[in-house]
Amino acid sequence: MLKTDGVTIRFGGLVAVNKVSIHVRKGQITGLIGPNGAGKTTFFNCISGVYKPSEGHVVFDGKNIEGMRPHKVNAAGMARTYQVINLFRKMTVQENIMVGMHSRLKSNFWSDLLRLPNQRKEEKFVREETEKWMEFVGLQDMRDHEAGSLSYGKQRLLEIVRGLASEPKLILLDEPVAGMNSKEKEEFDALLRRILNLGVTILMIEHDMKLVMGVCDYVYCLEHGSLLAEGVPEVVQNNPDVIAAYLGGDE
Amino acid sequence: MKNKKLSGNLLKCLVAVVVALLVPVLLGGSSYMCLVACFVTIYTISASGLDVLYGYSGQISMGHAAFYAIGGYGAGLLSEYLGIPLFISMFIAAAIAALIGALLAFPASKLKFHFLSLATIAFGEIIYQIVTNSPGRITGNYNGFFHSKLDIFGLKLDNNIKFYYFGLVCVVLFLIAKTMIVRSRTGRAFIAIRENTQAAEGMGVNVRKYKIIAFAVSAFFVAFAGSMYLGLVGYLHPDMYLQKQSVLFVTMMLFGGSASLAGPIIGAISIEILLEGLRTFEEYQMLIYGILLLIVIVAMPGGIVGAVKNIKAGILRRRAQKLDKEV
Repeated sequence: MLKTDGVTIRFGGLVAVNKVSIHVRKGQITGLIGPNGAGKTTFFNCISGVYKPSEGHVVFDGKNIEGMRPHKVNAAGMARTYQVINLFRKMTVQENIMVGMHSRLKSNFWSDLLRLPNQRKEEKFVREETEKWMEFVGLQDMRDHEAGSLSYGKQRLLEIVRGLASEPKLILLDEPVAGMNSKEKEEFDALLRRILNLGVTILMIEHDMKLVMGVCDYVYCLEHGSLLAEGVPEVVQNNPDVIAAYLGGDE
Repeated sequence: MKNKKLSGNLLKCLVAVVVALLVPVLLGGSSYMCLVACFVTIYTISASGLDVLYGYSGQISMGHAAFYAIGGYGAGLLSEYLGIPLFISMFIAAAIAALIGALLAFPASKLKFHFLSLATIAFGEIIYQIVTNSPGRITGNYNGFFHSKLDIFGLKLDNNIKFYYFGLVCVVLFLIAKTMIVRSRTGRAFIAIRENTQAAEGMGVNVRKYKIIAFAVSAFFVAFAGSMYLGLVGYLHPDMYLQKQSVLFVTMMLFGGSASLAGPIIGAISIEILLEGLRTFEEYQMLIYGILLLIVIVAMPGGIVGAVKNIKAGILRRRAQKLDKEV
């Protein structure tokens, strides 16, 4: 599904990400862990087109996508959420999801202006489709609430369905349970399973080890921009380097 | 619930249109008052156009007087030198302005808020210089530009009441167009860019493309309004296109309330009436704009429309609290 090959990102002299190669397999949940400042989010930004890698390749669904603009990456079938919640705060829950559908829709300026029959049909489809997504995460009673007024956990959920609304092949989740309460966290496992059942592959950055170890099929651990370890969760969890990186053990 | 709200809005619009139709009667057919009403129609279209750009897409322009000039002079020159009837050249001039707006937005779409406002100020200055130092003096430079008033295929709009009704038709058409654009995939892309450019791009919105569209649409609105001015007054002077005209548009939009249908209308009406009332203090115009802008920015960021909404929400909340207490 997604393969990176020796991806390196430099900002001036600083190497933020150093020769990282990962492989996200179709239909799996792949985890990306690592201490703060390890370069996980930078790496995500590179995959989703925000940054262009200084070296290396990103291959998504058989196509080279490094250096593609974010909106093109989205249209190619990759959606994402953000570490810092990046909703359209003044838009309603429903409108946020509508924007998420943007790349699937065909109406253009002229058909919007003149309300051509195709456009009307499409807008009807958009409304029905957004209903489906609001139900998917239980936000249907809040359709007209401004996104910025939701609780933190609900905002996370909205970000995820906004991403899913583009019907991606792969979704990148950047710390999806940060800010959720314990009940929401508990329900999150099940939500991830339901996302997989939609045929969407997941790549997830997460600090919550219980969640990562419980749901991920494969885990990569980054430290100081380099891959420290990889493997199934049990293996990574017991890797002495990983333990040292997390607990700050001696070099 | 949703339908109720929709028909409620439709009702409000109908009431507004009926009131607008009666305006000349209410003003007792006074020619001067009707002229003021004509200016309100022109400014409503201008402020609404700027609203598409600022209110919805979050892109500031402090140089929209340039498009106002392109509309006025463009329509006038096309009609004067190519013999195209003014009514048709108005649309051509607006289309040219839209094209220029798109060309301006192409590089400007990379600029963030304050740099964009500087770039648009510079653009306004460029157009002003062209108008005052035109090749072959085709714009009449500082003497101004004269043109016969608007007639639509022989129907002469030779008094202010007639022009007012023409202006009203234009307002209704432009506001319908604005609503159609704003409540659609295109409009959602605009708002998404305003709310969070990074996320909009991540959701597949081609940010540059939509910024260009927003610039072009707003240029079309403002330029058409500029050409209406020529049709109404029959005379243009370069000093109408100084920086303060751009500030006037911004003031009207912000004072009424941006990102709304009613805001620019309310802004155009209230500021125009205020300016006419204070004609004798014309040298203090910039001071008045400045004070109004400060009031809006500091005390009521949503303009009049936003303030009314807040008051309504406050009343509802208090009523809900009262009910809670009673129960």
